[in-house]
Amino acid sequence: MALEDYRSDMEMCSRCSICKFVPLERLKGYQHANVCPSISRYKFHAYSGGGRMGFGVAMLEKRLDYADKLLEVIYNCQMCGACDISCKTAMDMEVLEAINEMRIKCVKEGHTIPALDGVINSLRKQGTMVPGVKAGRGKWVEGLEVKDFTRQKTKVIYHAGCRTSYDRDMWGIARTTAALLQKAGIDFGIGGENESCCGGRAYQMGYKEDFLRQAKRNMALFQKSGAEILVTGCADGYHAFKTLYDKYGVKNGLEVLHTTEYLDRLIKEGRLKPTRKVAMRVTYHDPCHLGRLGEPYLHWPQEQVPVKTNILAPKELRRGTYGIYEPPRDVIRSIPGLKFVEMDRIKEYTWCCGSGGGVNDSNPGFARWTAEERINEAESTGAEAIVTACPWCEKTFKDAIKENGSKIKIYDVVELLAKAV
Amino acid sequence: MALKRDIYRALEDVVGPENISEDSVILDSYAWRSGLLAGTEKFVPRFEAITLPKDTAEVQAIVRLCNRFGIQFKASSTGWSYCDPSGPGIIKLDLRRMDRILEINEKSMYAVVEPYVIATQLQAELMKRGLNCNVNGAGGNCSAMPIVGHAGLGPLSESGSYGERNQLALEWVTPDGEIVRLGSLGSLNKWFCGDGPGPSLRGIVRGNTVPLGGLGVFTKAAQKVYHWPGPPLFPIEGVSPDFISSEIPPGFMLGNFYVTSTENMIKAIRKIGESEIGFELMIMNFASIDESLLRSDAEIADEFEQMSRTAQAPTFMLIIAANSPNDFEYKKKVLQLIMEETGGKMLPMAEDPKFAGSFIWSFIRCTGANSGCFRATGAFGGMVPGTDILDVMVNYVQRAAKTMEEFIRKDMLLADGMISFIQMIEHGHQAHAELLTRYFPNDPKQARGGAEFNMEANKIAVSGRFGVPHHVWSDSVHDLYGPHTSHYTKWLRSIKKTFDPNAASEATNYITADE
Repeated sequence: MALEDYRSDMEMCSRCSICKFVPLERLKGYQHANVCPSISRYKFHAYSGGGRMGFGVAMLEKRLDYADKLLEVIYNCQMCGACDISCKTAMDMEVLEAINEMRIKCVKEGHTIPALDGVINSLRKQGTMVPGVKAGRGKWVEGLEVKDFTRQKTKVIYHAGCRTSYDRDMWGIARTTAALLQKAGIDFGIGGENESCCGGRAYQMGYKEDFLRQAKRNMALFQKSGAEILVTGCADGYHAFKTLYDKYGVKNGLEVLHTTEYLDRLIKEGRLKPTRKVAMRVTYHDPCHLGRLGEPYLHWPQEQVPVKTNILAPKELRRGTYGIYEPPRDVIRSIPGLKFVEMDRIKEYTWCCGSGGGVNDSNPGFARWTAEERINEAESTGAEAIVTACPWCEKTFKDAIKENGSKIKIYDVVELLAKAV
Repeated sequence: MALKRDIYRALEDVVGPENISEDSVILDSYAWRSGLLAGTEKFVPRFEAITLPKDTAEVQAIVRLCNRFGIQFKASSTGWSYCDPSGPGIIKLDLRRMDRILEINEKSMYAVVEPYVIATQLQAELMKRGLNCNVNGAGGNCSAMPIVGHAGLGPLSESGSYGERNQLALEWVTPDGEIVRLGSLGSLNKWFCGDGPGPSLRGIVRGNTVPLGGLGVFTKAAQKVYHWPGPPLFPIEGVSPDFISSEIPPGFMLGNFYVTSTENMIKAIRKIGESEIGFELMIMNFASIDESLLRSDAEIADEFEQMSRTAQAPTFMLIIAANSPNDFEYKKKVLQLIMEETGGKMLPMAEDPKFAGSFIWSFIRCTGANSGCFRATGAFGGMVPGTDILDVMVNYVQRAAKTMEEFIRKDMLLADGMISFIQMIEHGHQAHAELLTRYFPNDPKQARGGAEFNMEANKIAVSGRFGVPHHVWSDSVHDLYGPHTSHYTKWLRSIKKTFDPNAASEATNYITADE
């Protein structure tokens, strides 16, 4: 696919502005009505889903050259997909796919931004989106007895992901996940030093070829192992393995589960028993890539057929309906003593943490601004902690808290579950 | 034509460098055509610059600069339609930063908002307080400010009236840069009344249609709000787009009726209005009754065919919202008597709590307009007569539909089942009708069809004495109606000339002073 393939979608935009707000049916008050960080921060229409559709057509019509401002607008977007979901409550058109294709077009034609080029260089040289030393990728597991799936047969692969592997503060999540899986008697292995980036973030930054290279490399490794299930705690990775790999035909029947899905399954099967009380009032932040973007990819033969009223029936669209919303909530609800409260913007209309689409590298200030908006929303519920299910979200929230001095705590679902098991 | 540097710098001094742009990518996003009567031209002319004023003082300063430097301006809120420039030399005021609810007065039942508060935000806040506002039929995504969101006619108009009538005190930056405070705001600094004590210029600022960006900038306004007998948060569950109501709240009822003849339908609706039992009342095609709840046009097409088989007669939708169990029983009994008298029958789907609850919420929040109008092709037109009594509306739709059939036969419009609706206003006092057209705007033949049928529908309104619609905009359409309706265009032009001596407020969608 290319941007041109989404021309008819972009030309469907009627400028209604629904993409800027949470679905109207679910709007609960004056506060927290906005759903798109980009238009909320930068205000001009171009920063919204609808605005992007308009200038996307302008790009195809060659009305715009690749000026710095064009790249600045294109890359000041977390690719969180909120605009896409809100739009699709009313319309049958792809918004996020078109926005992604704009980035791919920019990269293909050699128009990139230096901050993201640096990240991609790290991916090309070291196999990670987190600039670091390749040799340190498996350090988080030191001291644990865990199989290496590249050398030993296992049914389940646990993929820790770049953020978790290269951030010492996140190692606890991976180690805790490994401990929980062991407690449940799961035969699993990790890639350790051979683990590599999923490539999903590179794709959303527009570097499609780098993504495909990573995807093929990873799948070759997974298939050689003979494993049937891949479990990851990284929402970006989950989206890439489950959705993007399927989109590009490289998934080959691998079952992809997020740790929260897998742990929820293990709890319901009685293989993990949360029994210890954890007295805390918490709220849950849906990671975009696990929630609305985490639903399966729908293949489509790419033709529109006339239906009875002469209107063309488009493909069935991904509208966020089948994202992963309940498993993490069920895990949280299974923990004795926890008081769980919801924020205003949840599930398919969640507010992004700010990190996605390369924004944490290209514009950290914008990432922090977006995270602070979410932290404020969480605080308004009276929660003592935000629980999430993605290391990128966790890192962005923690960075924002360091800056703004909020007292709210940030946990991964896994960390809370471990307190109870 | 770029703005001269001294003009740009002067504007930048007002709003700050972050809140002004003349970059091509910013300008082109505003230049994308809106879907209303879209033609083959994909882009309208670019504005010279986009400004984002934060308050009335900044709006006034921008307007004064435009008058001083001889350039034009145009303001908009959410920017759906009627806010495009006609050519070079025009700057935009995107009022996005003016987004505060300034007051909700529960005792006196009014709310004061800035232009970028959307109706859904205001409605959601009001419902927490047992109140509700009228919502523009175009959707809850439009401005909550009556004079900004077009005429403000919608499904709620049966019990919640419409913009012109709900408008209370108003703050207006005139085209030459004065700040005028109308109604009680002008003398008492209070918002409760639009006509006094203090100056009343309600007719001046509104005209028939509202000025659609052509007569200065409206920066704050109060509106009448209404009693809401429902829950503070409607019981909606599910994940997008399958929003489902877990129950129908007590006192609420949906009725989808079909009646044996058009005469009996008019009679039934008139009696429902006289008895004031309706919260919402619309004559609707069954296919569009639940299209906002369906996932795609393919599903709508199937539904349309099925519904057409179910009810071979005129149909209408009624929502009842009662204040107490006794009130509910009374309203249902009255409805039953009216249905017996007129031979009306209720469709069974209205009794399914999930369907009915979801539908009720969709129509109270006005979430269905976009899917109903734009989902098929991204373009649509709404053919309307002047707001008048129900019989006139029915007559207009029937006449316009005959002409529309010819366009469909020639493949100049889509054969979409000829969707029309009539919204009742103030318990049957008046009604608003629309016959919707859908077509592919990139197909030159169909784009021409959309435009030509629009003019034909206007001619039908003129020749049939159907009054001046709320959808009149531009010199050419006003001039079509003016000679047949007391030359009201002379008054409008006089107003335009008096209040906008420098023609600074770009008036493509309103009326220019030129005879």
